[in-house]
Amino acid sequence: MTSNSKLLKGKTAIITGCLKGIGRATMDLFAQNGADIFACCQFESEEFKHHIEVLSKDTCVLIYPLYFDLCDSEQIKTAIKFIRSAKRNIDVLVNIAGMTQDALFHMTTIDQLKKIFEVNFFSQIMFTQYVTKLMLQNKTGSVINISSISAIDGNMGQLSYSSSKAAIIGATKTMSIELAPYGIRVNALAPGVIKTDMTANLPIDILDKQLGKIKLKYFGFPLEVASSILFLASDMSSYITGQIIRIDGGMQ
Amino acid sequence: MLLENKNVIITGCNRGIGRAILERFASNGANVFACTRKESREFSELIDKLSEKYSVNIFPIYFDASSIEEMRSAVKLIQTAKIPINALINNAGITYNALFQMSTIDKIKEVFDVNFVSPFILTQYISKLMIRQKSGSIINIASTAGIDGNSGRSVYGASKAAIICMTKVISAELGEFGIRANSIAPGMTDTDMLSSMSETLISDSLKTSDIKRVGKPSEIADTAVFLASDLASYITGQVIRVDGGLK
Repeated sequence: MTSNSKLLKGKTAIITGCLKGIGRATMDLFAQNGADIFACCQFESEEFKHHIEVLSKDTCVLIYPLYFDLCDSEQIKTAIKFIRSAKRNIDVLVNIAGMTQDALFHMTTIDQLKKIFEVNFFSQIMFTQYVTKLMLQNKTGSVINISSISAIDGNMGQLSYSSSKAAIIGATKTMSIELAPYGIRVNALAPGVIKTDMTANLPIDILDKQLGKIKLKYFGFPLEVASSILFLASDMSSYITGQIIRIDGGMQ
Repeated sequence: MLLENKNVIITGCNRGIGRAILERFASNGANVFACTRKESREFSELIDKLSEKYSVNIFPIYFDASSIEEMRSAVKLIQTAKIPINALINNAGITYNALFQMSTIDKIKEVFDVNFVSPFILTQYISKLMIRQKSGSIINIASTAGIDGNSGRSVYGASKAAIICMTKVISAELGEFGIRANSIAPGMTDTDMLSSMSETLISDSLKTSDIKRVGKPSEIADTAVFLASDLASYITGQVIRVDGGLK
Protein backbone atom coordinates (compact mmCIF):
# COMPACT_ATOMS: atom_id res chain seq x y z
CA MET A 1 0.00 0.00 0.00
CA THR A 2 2.68 2.48 0.95
CA SER A 3 5.81 0.71 -0.19
CA ASN A 4 7.00 3.63 -2.30
CA SER A 5 6.21 6.40 0.15
CA LYS A 6 8.41 6.09 3.19
CA LEU A 7 6.66 8.36 5.64
CA LEU A 8 9.00 7.67 8.58
CA LYS A 9 12.36 7.73 6.85
CA GLY A 10 15.14 8.60 9.30
CA LYS A 11 12.88 8.35 12.34
CA THR A 12 13.22 6.10 15.36
CA ALA A 13 10.15 4.70 17.06
CA ILE A 14 9.38 2.78 20.24
CA ILE A 15 6.37 0.47 19.98
CA THR A 16 4.97 -1.58 22.87
CA GLY A 17 2.90 -4.74 22.44
CA CYS A 18 4.66 -5.81 19.24
CA LEU A 19 4.07 -9.53 19.69
CA LYS A 20 0.71 -9.66 17.91
CA GLY A 21 -2.41 -7.85 16.75
CA ILE A 22 -2.30 -4.10 16.23
CA GLY A 23 1.24 -3.87 17.67
CA ARG A 24 2.63 -6.38 15.18
CA ALA A 25 0.88 -4.68 12.26
CA THR A 26 2.24 -1.31 13.40
CA MET A 27 5.79 -2.62 13.68
CA ASP A 28 5.59 -4.10 10.18
CA LEU A 29 4.13 -0.91 8.66
CA PHE A 30 6.65 1.33 10.43
CA ALA A 31 9.52 -0.80 9.15
CA GLN A 32 8.11 -0.64 5.60
CA ASN A 33 8.01 3.14 6.03
CA GLY A 34 11.66 3.40 6.93
CA ALA A 35 11.60 3.74 10.72
CA ASP A 36 14.16 2.15 13.02
CA ILE A 37 12.29 0.46 15.84
CA PHE A 38 12.64 -0.51 19.47
CA ALA A 39 10.13 -3.36 19.44
CA CYS A 40 8.83 -4.05 22.96
CA CYS A 41 7.19 -7.31 24.02
CA GLN A 42 6.62 -8.98 27.32
CA PHE A 43 8.11 -12.34 26.33
CA GLU A 44 10.84 -13.56 24.05
CA SER A 45 9.80 -16.05 21.38
CA GLU A 46 11.55 -17.78 18.49
CA GLU A 47 8.77 -16.82 16.11
CA PHE A 48 9.10 -13.13 17.02
CA LYS A 49 12.88 -13.17 16.74
CA HIS A 50 12.68 -14.76 13.33
CA HIS A 51 9.98 -12.32 12.23
CA ILE A 52 11.98 -9.20 13.06
CA GLU A 53 15.11 -10.65 11.50
CA VAL A 54 13.33 -11.13 8.19
CA LEU A 55 11.49 -7.82 8.51
CA SER A 56 14.61 -5.76 9.14
CA LYS A 57 16.42 -7.45 6.28
CA ASP A 58 13.51 -6.90 3.86
CA THR A 59 13.00 -3.27 4.80
CA CYS A 60 16.61 -2.27 5.57
CA VAL A 61 15.81 -0.79 8.99
CA LEU A 62 17.19 -1.57 12.43
CA ILE A 63 14.87 -3.34 14.85
CA TYR A 64 15.94 -3.79 18.44
CA PRO A 65 13.78 -6.25 20.36
CA LEU A 66 13.16 -5.35 24.01
CA TYR A 67 11.58 -7.86 26.34
CA PHE A 68 10.13 -6.55 29.56
CA ASP A 69 7.05 -6.46 31.74
CA LEU A 70 5.53 -2.97 31.60
CA CYS A 71 4.02 -3.52 35.06
CA ASP A 72 7.46 -3.91 36.63
CA SER A 73 9.06 -0.50 37.20
CA GLU A 74 12.52 -2.03 37.55
CA GLN A 75 12.21 -3.73 34.18
CA ILE A 76 10.98 -0.47 32.64
CA LYS A 77 14.08 1.28 33.96
CA THR A 78 16.35 -1.37 32.47
CA ALA A 79 14.61 -1.07 29.12
CA ILE A 80 14.97 2.72 29.18
CA LYS A 81 18.66 2.34 30.00
CA PHE A 82 19.10 0.14 26.95
CA ILE A 83 17.24 2.63 24.75
CA ARG A 84 19.34 5.49 26.08
CA SER A 85 22.57 3.58 25.48
CA ALA A 86 21.71 3.35 21.79
CA LYS A 87 22.14 7.15 21.71
CA ARG A 88 19.43 7.83 19.20
CA ASN A 89 16.85 10.55 18.98
CA ILE A 90 13.46 9.07 19.75
CA ASP A 91 10.85 10.52 17.41
CA VAL A 92 7.82 8.36 18.06
CA LEU A 93 6.32 6.40 20.95
CA VAL A 94 3.35 4.11 20.32
CA ASN A 95 1.73 2.65 23.45
CA ILE A 96 -0.14 -0.41 22.26
CA ALA A 97 0.37 -3.07 24.94
CA GLY A 98 -2.89 -3.57 26.78
CA MET A 99 -5.34 -6.14 28.03
CA THR A 100 -9.06 -6.69 28.27
CA GLN A 101 -11.22 -8.54 30.73
CA ASP A 102 -14.99 -8.44 30.52
CA ALA A 103 -17.24 -8.37 33.56
CA LEU A 104 -20.49 -6.63 34.41
CA PHE A 105 -20.25 -3.59 36.67
CA HIS A 106 -21.59 -5.38 39.76
CA MET A 107 -19.43 -8.44 39.13
CA THR A 108 -16.18 -6.50 38.72
CA THR A 109 -13.77 -7.11 41.59
CA ILE A 110 -11.37 -4.51 42.89
CA ASP A 111 -8.48 -6.81 41.99
CA GLN A 112 -9.61 -7.01 38.37
CA LEU A 113 -10.01 -3.26 38.27
CA LYS A 114 -6.54 -2.69 39.70
CA LYS A 115 -4.97 -5.19 37.31
CA ILE A 116 -6.52 -3.59 34.23
CA PHE A 117 -5.52 -0.10 35.32
CA GLU A 118 -2.03 -1.37 36.10
CA VAL A 119 -1.59 -2.67 32.54
CA ASN A 120 -3.66 -0.21 30.51
CA PHE A 121 -2.96 2.98 32.40
CA PHE A 122 -0.35 3.21 35.20
CA SER A 123 2.40 1.34 33.38
CA GLN A 124 1.83 3.32 30.17
CA ILE A 125 2.00 6.63 32.02
CA MET A 126 5.26 5.63 33.70
CA PHE A 127 6.80 4.42 30.45
CA THR A 128 5.68 7.57 28.62
CA GLN A 129 7.22 9.74 31.34
CA TYR A 130 10.62 8.14 30.73
CA VAL A 131 10.40 8.17 26.94
CA THR A 132 9.16 11.75 26.61
CA LYS A 133 12.07 12.84 28.83
CA LEU A 134 14.31 11.51 26.06
CA MET A 135 12.21 13.38 23.49
CA LEU A 136 12.50 16.68 25.37
CA GLN A 137 16.12 16.96 24.32
CA ASN A 138 15.44 16.97 20.60
CA LYS A 139 12.38 19.22 20.93
CA THR A 140 10.26 17.05 18.68
CA GLY A 141 8.22 13.92 19.00
CA SER A 142 4.89 12.21 18.55
CA VAL A 143 3.19 10.03 21.16
CA ILE A 144 0.29 7.83 20.10
CA ASN A 145 -1.92 6.14 22.67
CA ILE A 146 -4.56 3.53 22.02
CA SER A 147 -7.91 4.20 23.64
CA SER A 148 -11.16 2.56 22.56
CA ILE A 149 -14.62 3.56 21.41
CA SER A 150 -15.88 1.81 24.55
CA ALA A 151 -14.22 4.63 26.52
CA ILE A 152 -16.39 7.16 24.67
CA ASP A 153 -19.61 5.22 24.16
CA GLY A 154 -19.54 2.84 27.12
CA ASN A 155 -20.00 -0.87 26.50
CA MET A 156 -21.94 -3.50 28.37
CA GLY A 157 -19.60 -5.70 30.40
CA GLN A 158 -16.54 -3.52 29.94
CA LEU A 159 -16.56 -1.45 33.11
CA SER A 160 -12.88 -1.84 33.92
CA TYR A 161 -11.61 -1.86 30.32
CA SER A 162 -13.62 1.17 29.19
CA SER A 163 -12.68 3.13 32.33
CA SER A 164 -8.98 2.46 31.83
CA LYS A 165 -9.25 3.54 28.19
CA ALA A 166 -11.17 6.69 29.21
CA ALA A 167 -8.30 7.49 31.58
CA ILE A 168 -5.98 7.30 28.56
CA ILE A 169 -8.06 9.99 26.85
CA GLY A 170 -7.69 12.37 29.78
CA ALA A 171 -3.97 11.67 29.98
CA THR A 172 -3.57 12.22 26.24
CA LYS A 173 -5.18 15.66 26.35
CA THR A 174 -3.21 16.80 29.40
CA MET A 175 0.09 15.50 28.01
CA SER A 176 -0.65 17.36 24.78
CA ILE A 177 -0.94 20.62 26.72
CA GLU A 178 2.15 20.03 28.85
CA LEU A 179 4.45 18.67 26.15
CA ALA A 180 3.53 20.97 23.24
CA PRO A 181 6.13 23.59 24.31
CA TYR A 182 8.76 20.91 23.63
CA GLY A 183 7.44 20.15 20.16
CA ILE A 184 5.88 16.87 21.27
CA ARG A 185 2.43 16.02 19.92
CA VAL A 186 0.19 13.58 21.78
CA ASN A 187 -2.88 11.94 20.25
CA ALA A 188 -4.97 8.83 20.79
CA LEU A 189 -6.84 6.47 18.53
CA ALA A 190 -10.13 4.95 19.56
CA PRO A 191 -10.53 1.72 17.58
CA GLY A 192 -13.89 -0.01 17.24
CA VAL A 193 -14.11 -3.76 16.72
CA ILE A 194 -10.82 -4.90 15.19
CA LYS A 195 -10.03 -8.50 14.23
CA THR A 196 -7.46 -9.47 16.85
CA ASP A 197 -7.06 -12.06 19.58
CA MET A 198 -8.80 -9.59 21.87
CA THR A 199 -12.04 -9.88 19.92
CA ALA A 200 -11.63 -13.47 18.70
CA ASN A 201 -13.27 -14.94 21.79
CA LEU A 202 -16.37 -12.76 21.76
CA PRO A 203 -19.62 -14.73 21.47
CA ILE A 204 -21.01 -14.85 17.93
CA ASP A 205 -24.30 -13.15 18.85
CA ILE A 206 -22.44 -10.17 20.29
CA LEU A 207 -20.28 -9.93 17.17
CA ASP A 208 -23.38 -10.05 14.97
CA LYS A 209 -24.96 -7.26 16.95
CA GLN A 210 -21.81 -5.16 16.68
CA LEU A 211 -21.53 -5.76 12.93
CA GLY A 212 -25.07 -4.44 12.50
CA LYS A 213 -23.94 -1.12 13.94
CA ILE A 214 -20.94 -0.73 11.61
CA LYS A 215 -21.72 1.32 8.51
CA LEU A 216 -18.85 -0.11 6.46
CA LYS A 217 -20.20 -3.62 7.25
CA TYR A 218 -16.98 -5.31 8.32
CA PHE A 219 -14.70 -5.58 11.33
CA GLY A 220 -11.52 -3.57 11.05
CA PHE A 221 -8.11 -5.09 10.35
CA PRO A 222 -5.05 -4.43 12.53
CA LEU A 223 -3.35 -2.90 9.46
CA GLU A 224 -6.08 -0.25 9.24
CA VAL A 225 -5.38 0.87 12.80
CA ALA A 226 -1.65 0.74 12.11
CA SER A 227 -2.19 3.00 9.09
CA SER A 228 -3.73 5.72 11.27
CA ILE A 229 -0.89 5.33 13.76
CA LEU A 230 1.50 5.83 10.84
CA PHE A 231 -0.29 9.07 9.92
CA LEU A 232 -0.12 10.40 13.48
CA ALA A 233 3.54 9.40 13.78
CA SER A 234 4.52 11.10 10.52
CA ASP A 235 5.04 14.78 9.76
CA MET A 236 1.77 14.69 7.81
CA SER A 237 -0.01 15.35 11.10
CA SER A 238 2.33 18.10 12.31
CA TYR A 239 -0.58 20.38 13.35
CA ILE A 240 -2.69 17.68 15.04
CA THR A 241 -2.36 17.31 18.79
CA GLY A 242 -4.61 16.52 21.75
CA GLN A 243 -7.05 14.66 19.50
CA ILE A 244 -8.92 11.39 19.88
CA ILE A 245 -9.60 9.84 16.49
CA ARG A 246 -12.23 7.14 16.17
CA ILE A 247 -11.39 4.34 13.77
CA ASP A 248 -14.53 2.27 13.88
CA GLY A 249 -15.93 1.87 10.37
CA GLY A 250 -18.73 4.28 11.29
CA MET A 251 -20.30 2.77 14.39
CA GLN A 252 -23.69 4.00 15.55
CA MET B 1 2.85 8.48 -3.06
CA LEU B 2 -0.39 7.78 -1.32
CA LEU B 3 -2.85 8.57 -4.12
CA GLU B 4 -1.30 6.99 -7.20
CA ASN B 5 -3.86 6.44 -9.99
CA LYS B 6 -6.68 7.97 -7.99
CA ASN B 7 -8.99 10.55 -9.54
CA VAL B 8 -10.33 13.30 -7.34
CA ILE B 9 -12.48 16.41 -7.44
CA ILE B 10 -11.40 19.43 -5.39
CA THR B 11 -13.44 22.64 -5.11
CA GLY B 12 -12.03 26.07 -4.30
CA CYS B 13 -8.58 25.31 -5.75
CA ASN B 14 -7.66 28.87 -6.52
CA ARG B 15 -6.09 29.81 -3.21
CA GLY B 16 -5.59 29.07 0.45
CA ILE B 17 -6.31 25.58 1.69
CA GLY B 18 -7.79 24.49 -1.65
CA ARG B 19 -4.62 25.34 -3.53
CA ALA B 20 -2.54 23.45 -0.96
CA ILE B 21 -4.84 20.44 -1.32
CA LEU B 22 -4.44 20.59 -5.12
CA GLU B 23 -0.64 20.66 -4.78
CA ARG B 24 -0.45 17.87 -2.20
CA PHE B 25 -2.84 15.63 -4.11
CA ALA B 26 -0.84 16.15 -7.29
CA SER B 27 2.45 15.44 -5.52
CA ASN B 28 0.92 12.22 -4.20
CA GLY B 29 0.07 11.08 -7.72
CA ALA B 30 -3.64 11.91 -7.98
CA ASN B 31 -5.34 13.14 -11.14
CA VAL B 32 -7.44 16.15 -10.27
CA PHE B 33 -10.57 17.89 -11.49
CA ALA B 34 -9.61 21.30 -10.11
CA CYS B 35 -12.68 23.44 -9.58
CA THR B 36 -12.62 27.20 -9.19
CA ARG B 37 -15.09 29.98 -9.83
CA LYS B 38 -13.16 32.03 -12.34
CA GLU B 39 -10.70 31.31 -15.09
CA SER B 40 -7.35 33.07 -14.71
CA ARG B 41 -4.04 32.88 -16.45
CA GLU B 42 -2.24 32.50 -13.18
CA PHE B 43 -4.32 29.44 -12.30
CA SER B 44 -3.81 27.84 -15.74
CA GLU B 45 -0.08 28.30 -15.36
CA LEU B 46 -0.16 26.70 -11.90
CA ILE B 47 -2.01 23.70 -13.28
CA ASP B 48 0.45 23.29 -16.15
CA LYS B 49 3.35 23.52 -13.74
CA LEU B 50 1.92 20.98 -11.30
CA SER B 51 0.85 18.44 -13.90
CA GLU B 52 4.25 18.54 -15.52
CA LYS B 53 6.18 18.38 -12.25
CA TYR B 54 4.25 15.41 -10.87
CA SER B 55 3.21 13.72 -14.14
CA VAL B 56 -0.49 13.79 -13.32
CA ASN B 57 -3.53 15.01 -15.22
CA ILE B 58 -5.21 18.14 -13.90
CA PHE B 59 -8.41 19.33 -15.58
CA PRO B 60 -9.56 22.80 -14.60
CA ILE B 61 -13.31 23.17 -14.17
CA TYR B 62 -14.87 26.58 -13.80
CA PHE B 63 -18.23 27.09 -12.19
CA ASP B 64 -20.01 29.34 -9.74
CA ALA B 65 -20.96 27.10 -6.84
CA SER B 66 -24.07 29.17 -6.11
CA SER B 67 -25.52 28.37 -9.54
CA ILE B 68 -27.05 24.90 -9.70
CA GLU B 69 -27.12 25.16 -13.50
CA GLU B 70 -23.40 25.77 -13.75
CA MET B 71 -22.74 22.98 -11.30
CA ARG B 72 -24.81 20.58 -13.34
CA SER B 73 -22.80 21.27 -16.49
CA ALA B 74 -19.60 20.86 -14.51
CA VAL B 75 -20.76 17.45 -13.30
CA LYS B 76 -21.66 16.51 -16.89
CA LEU B 77 -18.17 17.46 -17.98
CA ILE B 78 -16.71 15.25 -15.25
CA GLN B 79 -18.97 12.37 -16.29
CA THR B 80 -17.84 12.55 -19.91
CA ALA B 81 -14.33 11.66 -18.75
CA LYS B 82 -15.75 8.22 -17.85
CA ILE B 83 -13.27 7.53 -15.12
CA PRO B 84 -13.91 6.41 -11.55
CA ILE B 85 -13.99 9.21 -8.99
CA ASN B 86 -12.13 8.12 -5.87
CA ALA B 87 -12.48 11.23 -3.76
CA LEU B 88 -14.42 14.48 -3.56
CA ILE B 89 -13.04 17.32 -1.47
CA ASN B 90 -15.57 20.05 -0.76
CA ASN B 91 -13.32 22.92 0.18
CA ALA B 92 -14.81 26.06 -1.42
CA GLY B 93 -16.30 28.35 1.19
CA ILE B 94 -16.68 31.92 2.34
CA THR B 95 -16.26 33.49 5.74
CA TYR B 96 -18.32 36.04 7.62
CA ASN B 97 -17.60 37.69 10.94
CA ALA B 98 -20.46 39.49 12.66
CA LEU B 99 -22.03 39.45 16.07
CA PHE B 100 -25.26 37.50 16.31
CA GLN B 101 -27.45 40.61 16.61
CA MET B 102 -25.66 42.28 13.69
CA SER B 103 -25.90 39.35 11.22
CA THR B 104 -28.16 40.11 8.29
CA ILE B 105 -30.55 37.73 6.60
CA ASP B 106 -28.91 38.31 3.22
CA LYS B 107 -25.54 37.30 4.60
CA ILE B 108 -26.99 34.27 6.38
CA LYS B 109 -28.45 33.06 3.11
CA GLU B 110 -25.32 33.79 1.11
CA VAL B 111 -23.02 31.97 3.55
CA PHE B 112 -25.30 28.95 3.77
CA ASP B 113 -25.64 28.87 -0.01
CA VAL B 114 -21.89 28.64 -0.57
CA ASN B 115 -20.84 26.71 2.54
CA PHE B 116 -23.70 24.25 2.82
CA VAL B 117 -26.15 24.05 -0.11
CA SER B 118 -23.46 23.92 -2.82
CA PRO B 119 -21.41 21.09 -1.31
CA PHE B 120 -24.67 19.32 -0.48
CA ILE B 121 -25.85 19.33 -4.10
CA LEU B 122 -22.43 18.57 -5.56
CA THR B 123 -22.04 15.63 -3.19
CA GLN B 124 -25.46 14.32 -4.25
CA TYR B 125 -24.28 14.23 -7.86
CA ILE B 126 -20.82 12.83 -7.23
CA SER B 127 -21.84 10.24 -4.65
CA LYS B 128 -24.22 8.80 -7.27
CA LEU B 129 -21.15 7.95 -9.33
CA MET B 130 -19.43 6.56 -6.23
CA ILE B 131 -22.41 4.34 -5.36
CA ARG B 132 -22.19 2.80 -8.81
CA GLN B 133 -18.50 2.02 -8.39
CA LYS B 134 -19.04 0.94 -4.74
CA SER B 135 -16.20 3.02 -3.36
CA GLY B 136 -15.19 6.58 -2.63
CA SER B 137 -14.03 9.04 -0.02
CA ILE B 138 -15.86 12.30 0.63
CA ILE B 139 -13.97 14.97 2.55
CA ASN B 140 -15.62 18.17 3.68
CA ILE B 141 -13.60 21.09 4.95
CA ALA B 142 -15.46 22.36 8.00
CA SER B 143 -13.99 24.49 10.80
CA THR B 144 -13.37 24.41 14.53
CA ALA B 145 -15.84 27.33 14.54
CA GLY B 146 -18.51 24.76 13.65
CA ILE B 147 -17.76 22.85 16.85
CA ASP B 148 -16.68 25.45 19.40
CA GLY B 149 -19.07 28.32 18.72
CA ASN B 150 -16.75 31.31 18.79
CA SER B 151 -18.00 34.85 19.28
CA GLY B 152 -18.86 36.55 15.97
CA ARG B 153 -19.21 33.24 14.16
CA SER B 154 -22.93 32.49 14.50
CA VAL B 155 -23.46 32.35 10.73
CA TYR B 156 -20.13 30.91 9.55
CA GLY B 157 -19.96 28.47 12.48
CA ALA B 158 -23.53 27.30 11.95
CA SER B 159 -22.87 26.68 8.25
CA LYS B 160 -19.84 24.55 9.18
CA ALA B 161 -21.81 22.71 11.89
CA ALA B 162 -24.35 21.90 9.17
CA ILE B 163 -21.60 20.45 6.98
CA ILE B 164 -20.29 18.33 9.87
CA CYS B 165 -23.75 16.88 10.49
CA MET B 166 -24.31 16.30 6.78
CA THR B 167 -21.02 14.40 6.63
CA LYS B 168 -22.08 12.10 9.47
CA VAL B 169 -25.42 11.39 7.79
CA ILE B 170 -23.69 10.63 4.48
CA SER B 171 -21.37 8.20 6.27
CA ALA B 172 -24.39 6.47 7.80
CA GLU B 173 -26.37 6.29 4.56
CA LEU B 174 -23.58 5.43 2.12
CA GLY B 175 -21.26 3.28 4.23
CA GLU B 176 -22.81 0.12 2.87
CA PHE B 177 -21.73 1.19 -0.63
CA GLY B 178 -18.11 1.41 0.50
CA ILE B 179 -18.22 5.20 0.62
CA ARG B 180 -16.50 6.95 3.51
CA ALA B 181 -17.32 10.52 4.54
CA ASN B 182 -15.30 12.62 6.97
CA SER B 183 -14.77 16.26 7.70
CA ILE B 184 -11.70 18.21 8.66
CA ALA B 185 -12.00 21.06 11.14
CA PRO B 186 -9.05 23.41 10.62
CA GLY B 187 -8.30 25.89 13.38
CA MET B 188 -6.52 29.12 12.58
CA THR B 189 -4.83 28.56 9.26
CA ASP B 190 -2.57 30.94 7.38
CA THR B 191 -4.87 32.01 4.52
CA ASP B 192 -6.66 35.12 3.26
CA MET B 193 -9.61 34.05 5.37
CA LEU B 194 -7.58 34.39 8.54
CA SER B 195 -6.64 37.97 7.72
CA SER B 196 -10.35 38.84 7.99
CA MET B 197 -10.06 38.22 11.74
CA SER B 198 -8.75 40.82 14.16
CA GLU B 199 -5.11 40.43 15.18
CA THR B 200 -5.85 40.52 18.90
CA LEU B 201 -8.39 37.74 18.50
CA ILE B 202 -5.79 35.61 16.69
CA SER B 203 -3.01 36.23 19.23
CA ASP B 204 -5.37 35.62 22.16
CA SER B 205 -6.43 32.26 20.74
CA LEU B 206 -2.86 31.26 20.01
CA LYS B 207 -1.84 32.01 23.58
CA THR B 208 -4.10 29.27 24.91
CA SER B 209 -3.39 26.73 22.14
CA ASP B 210 -0.86 23.91 22.50
CA ILE B 211 1.20 24.56 19.37
CA LYS B 212 1.47 28.32 19.55
CA ARG B 213 1.42 29.16 15.85
CA VAL B 214 -1.15 29.26 13.07
CA GLY B 215 -1.44 26.22 10.85
CA LYS B 216 -0.08 26.00 7.33
CA PRO B 217 -2.49 25.24 4.48
CA SER B 218 -0.26 22.26 3.62
CA GLU B 219 -0.92 20.78 7.08
CA ILE B 220 -4.65 20.76 6.39
CA ALA B 221 -3.96 19.34 2.93
CA ASP B 222 -1.91 16.46 4.37
CA THR B 223 -4.86 15.40 6.51
CA ALA B 224 -7.05 15.47 3.41
CA VAL B 225 -4.50 13.26 1.63
CA PHE B 226 -4.65 10.84 4.54
CA LEU B 227 -8.46 10.68 4.53
CA ALA B 228 -8.59 10.25 0.74
CA SER B 229 -5.98 7.49 0.81
CA ASP B 230 -6.36 3.83 1.70
CA LEU B 231 -4.57 4.55 4.97
CA ALA B 232 -7.91 5.76 6.31
CA SER B 233 -9.95 2.84 4.98
CA TYR B 234 -11.69 2.19 8.33
CA ILE B 235 -12.32 5.83 9.26
CA THR B 236 -15.74 7.25 8.45
CA GLY B 237 -18.23 9.67 10.00
CA GLN B 238 -15.48 11.53 11.82
CA VAL B 239 -14.55 15.16 12.15
CA ILE B 240 -10.82 15.59 12.60
CA ARG B 241 -9.54 18.76 14.22
CA VAL B 242 -6.32 20.06 12.70
CA ASP B 243 -5.96 22.99 15.05
CA GLY B 244 -2.66 22.77 16.90
CA GLY B 245 -4.56 22.06 20.11
CA LEU B 246 -6.92 25.07 20.31
CA LYS B 247 -8.66 25.40 23.66
